[in-house]
Parts: sequence; structure tokens; C-alpha cells
Amino acid sequence: MLKLICANLIQRPTRTAVSVLAISLGVVLILVSVGLSYGQLTDAAERMRRIGGDFMLQPPNASFFFALNSGTLPVRLREVIQKVDGVRDATPVLAKFIGDKFHLVYGIDKESFARVNDSLRFVSGRHFESAYEVIIDTNYARSKRLKVGDRIELLNQSFSVVGVYQEGTASRVMMPLATLQELNGTPDKVTTFFVRAAGKNSLDVVYQRLKERFKDYTITRTADLQEIMTANTPVFKQFVAAVVAISVAVSFLIILLAMYTTITERTREIGILKSLGASKSYIVQLILRESLLICSVGVVLGFVLAALAIKLILTAFPSMPVNITIGWRVIAALMALSGGVLGALYPALKAAQLDPVKALGYE
Amino acid sequence: MSKTVDIVQKKDPVVIEDVHMVYRVGKVDVPALRGVSLTVRAGEFLAIMGPSGCGKSTLLHVLGGLLRPTSGRIFIDGVDTSSVSDAERTEIRRRKMGFVFQRFNLLPTLSALDNIELAREIQGNGHVRNHQTTQEILGLLGIADKMHHRPYELSGGEQQRVAIARSVVSRPAILFADEPTGNLDSDNSQMVLNMLQELNVKYGQTVVMITHDPEAASTASRIVEMRDGKILNRVQNLFYAMEQKRV
Repeated sequence: MLKLICANLIQRPTRTAVSVLAISLGVVLILVSVGLSYGQLTDAAERMRRIGGDFMLQPPNASFFFALNSGTLPVRLREVIQKVDGVRDATPVLAKFIGDKFHLVYGIDKESFARVNDSLRFVSGRHFESAYEVIIDTNYARSKRLKVGDRIELLNQSFSVVGVYQEGTASRVMMPLATLQELNGTPDKVTTFFVRAAGKNSLDVVYQRLKERFKDYTITRTADLQEIMTANTPVFKQFVAAVVAISVAVSFLIILLAMYTTITERTREIGILKSLGASKSYIVQLILRESLLICSVGVVLGFVLAALAIKLILTAFPSMPVNITIGWRVIAALMALSGGVLGALYPALKAAQLDPVKALGYE
Repeated sequence: MSKTVDIVQKKDPVVIEDVHMVYRVGKVDVPALRGVSLTVRAGEFLAIMGPSGCGKSTLLHVLGGLLRPTSGRIFIDGVDTSSVSDAERTEIRRRKMGFVFQRFNLLPTLSALDNIELAREIQGNGHVRNHQTTQEILGLLGIADKMHHRPYELSGGEQQRVAIARSVVSRPAILFADEPTGNLDSDNSQMVLNMLQELNVKYGQTVVMITHDPEAASTASRIVEMRDGKILNRVQNLFYAMEQKRV
């Protein structure tokens, strides 16, 4: 059977190649779009988690997308947070989305940030000392080709880059809290507090105490950020579902068309197989296996093309985070295969039902 | 009567009783077979002869289980195939029958060898059986050197020999040949007919051949004539030269 399947595929090389390519594009569509969107979310969540706070305290019904609710918490709330039993420290952060550069800038209080955070590592330069100094991460420095001593334009102000820190913590660019508050027009306001529990206290207990003290506020464990962001991101699930559905539809339609054309062209051959005693299940298996072979090659090609596409994207946008998990690779492969099998099912059943005498007489 | 049939069933590979076949064309019923009864004995080479449209191909398709008759009974090796399901008829076809067609009907994408191996695979229900090696059969039919050729690289006579090899690879109880020389020149026709004769005489293969050519029919051990969907009541028994060897 395998020889017949391979011979059939080789017999129509263009159709086989187009079918394989179409299946692979479905796989690429899933992997690249989900990889980029997951990458953005997981990267943002991971960098927030690595700030070092055990909890984030935000205004009621706050979004994790800082740009949407920039600067609404009074900075003096920090003193109240610090009084909660089990809290070691809290650091205020004002987040500002820089639209034209498409990234977030954090305004931080250097001293309290250092007490909460223990992962910030400078690879060159130093921390900011004055109002119009910024520090940037290695990713930002690499993508914008910046180094210590260079100047950058942010929010219509010129800043001096004084330090470059290892990427993976907080935002790509950080500046003094007071400077960002002033430029944002929200003096004494911040976006969120990162709260660190004292070592000996159970996180659950501190969490409960914070919830009791700040009843209407949104309090989130930073360890849960990734999961929460993925689950709660507006239209993310719908976006992923739409991408997957389009991909399955592409696989389904391409295979349906390819296999339908195939069985029409090969009606006589199916008649021959039936005259040899091939059962309906043999004919169905023949068509389904042929489709599975096309889809399997398409999946492999899709993985290769997705890797190339990601490489190209990262060449053009080095700071773009991409996260293609094994799980999504499996899903992309299964979707392509199931779309292909579903698409081949109708032609396969139609072929199995062919009248052998009519099929043998088919020209 | 039923007792007689039972005895015949056990003895003869093909028994058909009062078979009718009516095609529906639009709103008109077109009878193709009008009460055909026939017995094919084991080891017999039967030629069914008649002009175009007399119903001989329909009879072959009904015998081969490719068509279900409108009425009547067909026993293949004792099993009434007119009353079994499509799947069971397919199973009987797979296990008991081989076909040779006028247009050879080889799969064009496969080599001669692969065509035969595929038939063996299907007849072995997905597993390759080891009855007799394919190469041996191809050698027997004089086309061992062509085993890796595709059908379009073979002459008509060679294609038909591959088709014969494919049809007998699993040693079927009955070999049905539908105008096997219809697309061949006289030399190749004679070669194919000789092969069918040889299979019949040397290996006791039961052969049922449809033909409109009296010369081709004369190679059979028995000829029945058809006209207007019926078997004429004049049966010829011919013994060709090779019959003597069998005796």
C-alpha cells in the first residue's frame, strides 16, 4: 500500500508539493502567531516576576497591561503596605508605554527597588543618579545599538544612558520615578507596588493579610502572573482559537480538494483495486494514509519554515520575544493532521462507495 | 431439487440458477440477463461467446460479484453470493477469483512486479502471502526481465501477461477473463490464449472467458453462446490439442 501511495504522490508532483506547502503554511501560521503572542506575554510576565516582589498590588479591576492604567495609585500607599504584618518591603513602579518605540518604561524608586529586587545585574555603567539618566537592558542596547554614554530620546526628552543591565528583569528601560511621574503628568502617582514578604512568613498568610487590608485592590502573586496573563489577556484566547481554526480550515480544504481531485482522476484505479478484492476499508485507508503522508511532510516542512520565519523576525526585530512551546508544536501538528484526515474522509468514503463496474469503465 | 443443488455446489466452483439482471435507464427497465443458468466445472476452461450487447460482460460481472443480480442465485465454491452482503462478496472475490480484462487494468504508477505484489497484498488481506514467488510467476509467463517496467513501458501482450500473473498470484479457484485478447494483435492474442490454456491444462485452473471472437473461443474446452441475455440451448464441447495431455 505504501508503494502505491508514494507512487501516486510522485505521479502528481505539483499537486503534492502545493498540498504539502499549504499544510506547512497552516503550521507556520499557528507557530509564528502563537509563538509571538505567547512570547510577548510570557516574557512580560517573567520580567515582572523577576523584579523580586512576591505580590503585585494594583488598583481595583486593574489590568496587567500597565499602559492602560498608568499612574493611579498614590505613592504614599507604600507606607500602609509596609505596615502589614509579614511584609518586608514594597517598591512603587510607574509604567509608561512609549507608543512610537513600542515598549514600556518603568519609573522606579532606586532604593526600595534594590531592597525588593536581587536580580538586577549591571553589565556596564552604573545606576542612574540624576533626573535625566536612564538605564537600559542588554536586549534594548543590542537592538538599538546603544552603549553607556549614548543619548536617547524618550517622551520628548533627551536622556543619558548611564548603565546597561542584564535583560530578564523589569522593563527594557528604567528611569527615576519622579522624572517619569513629572513627564507623565501624574505626580505622586504610581501604577503598581511590588511587595516582598519577609522570609520567615508563609506567602499564603501574607497574601491573606494584604487581601484583608486592601479589600478593593487587585493583589496578585507574581508566581501566577504568567498563567493569569495568558488566561486574562483580552481576546488572546479568541485570537489563538481563530488562528488554530484558520489553520485547520486551510488543512481541511486543501486536503479535501487534493483528495477529491485524486479520486476523480483515479476512479478507474479504484475500480481495479475493487476487482482485485480490495475492501471498502482498504480503499478508505489508502486515501487516509495518503493524506496523512502529505500532512506529515507538511508538518515537518512547517516546523522548518516556522524556524526560518522566527529567525527572520528576530533579525528584523531583535527585541521581539518568541516562545514556541513543545505543547504548541504538538497542537500545530495535531491540528494539521486532523484537518487533513477530516478533509480526506469524504473523498475516501466516496471512493469506497464507488461501483466497481462503473469505476472500471471510467475514462 | 435442493439436494441436487447441494451436491452440485460442493462439486462445481460456479453454479448459477435463473439469474436475471435488469438495468434501470431513466424510467426504462433494460433487461441484460433473462434467466441464465449455468454450471462451470472444476478445472474447466469455459468460453462464453456472443455478439456485443448480448449480456456476456454483465454475466461475468455478476459471476465475479462485481454486480448483484436482480434475481436468481449464484454459488461460488458452494457459497450463494447473491444473498450475501457487499463486504462478503468482496471477501469471496478476494479469496476465490482472479480477473483479466480487455484493457489490462494495471495500475499505471506501479511496476509490473509491484502490480502483482499489490494484488498479493490485497488478497492476503493486507499481509503479503507466500504462495509462490512473484518472480516465479513472471518467469513462467516469460516476462521476468520486465518486472521493473511500468505498464506504459510494456507492449499490450506484455501488459496482459502481467495482468494474468496478477490474477493467478494467489491461486484463485476461478479465473475470469473479459475479452482478454480484445486489445491485442493476433500474435499476442495467440500467446495470451496459449497461456490461459496452459494454466488450465497444467495447473487445473478453472477459467471462464468472455469473448466475441470464435477463434479465441475455440481454445476453450467448452463454449456456451449467449444472445439477448440468454444462453442458447446449443452447447459445444471442444477439446483442444492440449486436452490430450491432461487426459
